[in-house]
This record gives sequence, C-alpha cells and structure tokens, in this order.
Amino acid sequence: MNKRQALSAVLATAMVASLGVTASAATPVAATELAYTGELELMHYSTLEESQGNGGSDGFRTVLAAWQEAHPDITLNENVLANAEYKTQIQTLASANDLPDVFLLQGMNTKAWAEQGLIMDLTDTIAASPYYADYNQAYFTPFKTADGKIYGYPVLTGGTCTVVIYDKAMWKDAGFDAFPATWADVETAAAYFGEQGIDTIAFGNGGQWQANSDFLSTLGNRYTGPEWFQSLIDKAGAKFTDEAFVKALTEMQRLFTQTTIFNEDFNAVTNEDAREYYISGDAAAFIGGNWDWSYIYATLKESDPDKFANMGIAVLPQPADADKAPNSQNIGLGYAVAFNSNLAEDPDKLAAAIDLAQEITGPAFASYVAENYALGGLTKVADVDLSAFDQQTVDFYNWSYVDTETCEIYDSYINSAVWSILNTDMQSMMNGELDPATVAANAQAAYEENY
Amino acid sequence: MHMLNAIRPKNRTIIAYLAIPVVMFVFTVFVPLVTALVYSFFEWKGGPVKTFNGLSNYIQLFQDGTFWEAFGHNIYLVIACIIGQVGIAFVLVMMVNSKLVFCKTIHRTFGFFPSTIAAVCIGLIWNMIYHNKYGILNWFLEAIGRKDLCQVWLNNSDIVMLLVTIPLIWQYIGYYMVIILSAIASISTDIFESSEIDGANGFQKAVYITLPLIKNTMLVCITLCIAGNMKAFDNIYVMTKGGPGTSSMVMAMYGYQVSFGQSNMGYGSCISVGIFVLSLLVIGGSQMLINYVTREKEAA
Repeated sequence: MNKRQALSAVLATAMVASLGVTASAATPVAATELAYTGELELMHYSTLEESQGNGGSDGFRTVLAAWQEAHPDITLNENVLANAEYKTQIQTLASANDLPDVFLLQGMNTKAWAEQGLIMDLTDTIAASPYYADYNQAYFTPFKTADGKIYGYPVLTGGTCTVVIYDKAMWKDAGFDAFPATWADVETAAAYFGEQGIDTIAFGNGGQWQANSDFLSTLGNRYTGPEWFQSLIDKAGAKFTDEAFVKALTEMQRLFTQTTIFNEDFNAVTNEDAREYYISGDAAAFIGGNWDWSYIYATLKESDPDKFANMGIAVLPQPADADKAPNSQNIGLGYAVAFNSNLAEDPDKLAAAIDLAQEITGPAFASYVAENYALGGLTKVADVDLSAFDQQTVDFYNWSYVDTETCEIYDSYINSAVWSILNTDMQSMMNGELDPATVAANAQAAYEENY
Repeated sequence: MHMLNAIRPKNRTIIAYLAIPVVMFVFTVFVPLVTALVYSFFEWKGGPVKTFNGLSNYIQLFQDGTFWEAFGHNIYLVIACIIGQVGIAFVLVMMVNSKLVFCKTIHRTFGFFPSTIAAVCIGLIWNMIYHNKYGILNWFLEAIGRKDLCQVWLNNSDIVMLLVTIPLIWQYIGYYMVIILSAIASISTDIFESSEIDGANGFQKAVYITLPLIKNTMLVCITLCIAGNMKAFDNIYVMTKGGPGTSSMVMAMYGYQVSFGQSNMGYGSCISVGIFVLSLLVIGGSQMLINYVTREKEAA
C-alpha cells in the first residue's frame, strides 16, 4: 500500500465512522405513510457551517435527515443558502411568483405575501396537527394576518434578540454585584471603566439592523408597553410619532451620544466585531442576540475558562423616565415553515409537505435541541432535564424561557420598507445628526405608505 | 485572395458563431434593460401583483432626496477618481518611463496588482486600515504623537465619502497605468529623441508631446472611469453599507436597498433606469466637454 492508498483507506474509514455517528444520532420522526413519490423543493438557511454550534440549525438538519430517511421515495430538492443570501433570494423568487414548495417565511413578509396569494393559508392544517396541543401559541403571532389566518409553522429555536452579557468579575470591581437594573447605574459604572480605558458596553450597529433588533425593540417596550406595538401591527391607531415611542428614541439617542457607555465605533463595527471587544476584555459587557451569546459561550469555553466562569446575563437596564415592563426582553421565532400556494393542486404532495413541516417543528426537533443545547422551539417539551448542562447554559435557558417577561421583536412584523428606513435614520440619529422626532415622522410616513 | 476565400467558412457558419455572443449579450444586457423600463411604470412590492401606476415612480424619483444625494456622491466619486486614478496613473507612467528608473517591469506588475483583487477584499483590507482600535491609520497617528487626530474614521459623515474613495483610487491606478503605458509604447522614440536634442525637459515632454499624442487613449480612460464609478457598489457595501445614515450612499446601492431591502421592485427598477439615463448624460456630457476643450486648443 503506498502513501496515497493508505491515506484514502484512513479517510474512507473515518467517513464510514462519521456516517455511523450521524445515523445513530438521528432523531426518530413519526413514520407517517405518505402517498407522494417524487421531488419536493425545500429552501432554507441551515447551512452545514451554521449548524456547527448553532442548536437550531443542527436540530433542523438532523430532523430533516431523519425525515428523508423515513421517506426514501420522496426526493428532497434542497436549496440551502446562508441567511443574508437566503433573504435576498427568497424575496426575488416571491417577486417572480416562483417560490419553492416549502420554504422559511420571515414574519414581516407574512401579510404582503398572503395578500398576493403567494403562501398557503395553514390555519386548519395547523389546528389538525397531532402536536397542536403542545404548540407554544404565542410563537404564531408574526405569521398571522389581521383576520386570524395562520401561514406557517414557526421553526428553529426561540431565542432572545436583546441580552446583556457581562463579566461578573469586572463589574464586581466596579462596585456592582450584579448587572445594574437602571441606565443611571450603568453611567456611574462607565465613569469607573473609562478610567481603566475599558468600554462599559460593546455594541455594533454597522449593519444598521442591530440597533433595531437588539436594542430599540426592547427599549421601546419599556416606554410603550406591548399594546402599542400590537396596535401598530393591527393598524388600530398607534403611530411611530406617538409620544412614548419618541421618548424611547430620545433616550436611545441620549445613551449613544451623551454618555460614554458604548464603544465609540458602535456605528462602524458589526455585532461580530463588538463581541470580540467583550471576549478580549476591551469591554466589560456586550449587548446582542442569542446568536452572539452562543458564539461568546463557545469561544470563551475553549479559550478562557476564567472569563467563561464569570459570564453573566441580564436584561436591558431600565431608563429613568420609562415605566413599563422593566424585566422584559424580546424573544420569538423569526421564521416559519410556509408553503407555496400552488401546492394545493397536488394533495399528495401537500400531505408530504405538511408531514415534513410538522416533523421539523415537532417533538423530534424540540427534544433534540432541548437535550443537546437546552433550547426550545414551537413544540413544548415536558420536563427538560438540565442536569447535564453547565451553569451558563442553565442560566441562559431559565433567563430566556422562565424568569423574564417577553416582548415582540419589531422586525418580525409589519414591513421591510418601514424597518429599512427606520434603521438607516436611526444610525444618523445615534450619531446625533438627526433628531428623534424626524426619525419617528419618517418611519410613520413609510408605515402609512407601505403597510 | 483566392486562398482566403478557400479557407473562409460559409456565411451561415460565421453568423451561427456570432449569434452565440450576440444572443448572450441581448439576454444579459438588453432584455433586463427593457424589462426594468417596463417594471418602472408599475407599483410592484415584492410579489406577483403589479399595478400600473404611470409616471408616479418617476415623480417620486425626482422628489427623492436620498436618490439625488446618492447621485451627488457618484459625481464626487467620478471627479475624485478621474483626478486620482487617471491623473496619478499618468504621472506614475511618466516616472516609470523615465531613464532613471530601474526594474520597470516590477513597477508595472506590482502597480497592476491591486486591480486584480476583488473589490470586496479591498473593502475588507481598508476596513482594517481605518479600524479605530486595531487599524494602522490610528496606530500611525498615535506613533507620531497626534493621538488627537485619531477617530472612528468610517463613522465621520463629513469625510466618509473621501475615505471610501481612497481604496477605489488605490485599486485602479495600476489598471489605467497599463492602458496608458501601452499607448505611450506606440509613440515613436524618434519624437522623444529629437525633443531631447531640442532641450525639452521631462515635464515638457509629458505635456507637449505625450499627452497630445495619447489624447484618444486618455478619453477612453476617462470614459471607463466615469462608467465604472457611476455603478460603484461593492467596496462601499462592504465598508459602510452606505452609512452612517446615507452619508456614503451611492445610486446603485440605493437601488439595491429599495429593491431588496424594502422589496419595492417597481421603484427599484425606476431607480435603475434613472442610473442608466444619468450615466449616459454624464458620459455624453463629459465627452462633449473634452472635445470642446481640445478643439479650442487645436484651433488656437
């Protein structure tokens, strides 16, 4: 055996071994008898790279593989793209009326696409699901229209979009046993950290969406309460120019322009850059979403056990002039499995699609992500055994699903045009170049024109 | 002649071969142009439903402050890049062609290098240069004792256009250098030699001999430069996404944002048509201007 042959033998063995591992790790799905044979198109963004470390993606791919194995007569024609590309491409396909059979629908597109007859009304199908009793009903809201029709099975894992991650040891040195509950206290701490040459909180808004998803969505709720946003979704009278929302924008501008809390390049770097400031110790805390938490968790666990042990989490501090929901964080499922409305023409194919949707959002998925990642999805799992997890994971699970009040993620709703305009303006506002009243007025104009 | 005819393929064959690129060109250039023109008269917000709305997209375009701000940024890019890319390239070519310079091939090769790198990578490289914590620019300012000048470069809306233009200039100098070098190579050396005997210095040779003789090539360079910068997108997208706010927004990026970020395909198509028309106007206008200026000189 020459070198090359030896190498290929080793590789082949490794491949077989890895196949064995995958097969044994596969989660059993319900083996429903399906009449359909042939191709079924599926477009999603759980890429192989994404699934490494991301529980939701890993669970999605695992259950999908199990479903495929259970239904060998159906050929899944998968189109898998990274999230940013996925969003652009699905938008283009929708415009061309050429959506795949099964795909992931973003909450804010539900209303427009339903009105144009692109997506199938799944209200009755969902109600008839064998797992219906275990569904977390609140997750359906972004995929409902005003008349109560539901257009998708919320998919992947429910995660917060606004969590403060902080270094307990650094904050103890600054005189705080836990992360401050008010911005006033954070400002006090900022004076201390400033002397040390450390940023108090790292934040990255280079992509323009972060200030909305990872900050304003929760901060706004502290001023307006959930009814205001619900009214905005229902077009029941609330306006972006309402005093409470403008106050939230004003506070946001004050925090970013008049205090020294944040890294000065918050508008030029992304969340990926900003979390590195926290990891390297250049910042004492970081604000981001659950995906940032997963990244920081995985990185510190491997590279810095001491800092990992000091990792704490908290809700966004409360502003002095806000009087609502101080313990709230925005959490939800941003995407749902939805069907091309043309699927109705082929009942057998539709039945296969429904079975697929129910399995990748059902108990097989929920158990997998609960057992392996301490995460939750659409289907509730009774008695999640957290004993096998480390303290950080248990804390984050309880913080996300048990101990905090929840509020909506703004950009899961309404319309991409409104958020695109608000996000662009907000970036200028956070530089002090645009006043909150103008930002609110522009957002309101976009809302009236597009929604 | 007889020989040529003997090996000359049949007309049918020639047409068939030519048809392939022509069809590709029609489908990738003309068809999208025409469809964009058609869609620009519709309200089309990301679905199969399109409603004819006449000229209202165009009326909106005329009143859209962001679009005209972006157009202004494109014009800024064009002017800065004509001076920066073509101008500096000409000066560098003169220097490389000088008798005092050794290793001319190396200068040419390395000068051309940046234009072979993808614009996205260029954006990332310059992002690192401008980075306020880890960037070489702030590090240098600190090293020479001017910490007061350090700042978050790409977040300064007053100079952000300049900062995103510098990488573009840097990237394409070599590209124009190669074009200008090849034009100069075609000038007979006799002319330079006789001018040297007459006592012309380097500057005089450049201005009174080289420049008039490569006038047409310079025109091509300027046209390429304008066309390239009217559609600028990728490196700005990587560096600032048009921000902060709309401070570095260019037309193509605005069209992209409206079409895909706001899923407003109708208005997005209208913006594309706007970019096309404005680019034609700017290119046509600049050529007329150059022709006018040079004709005056010849007459004088």
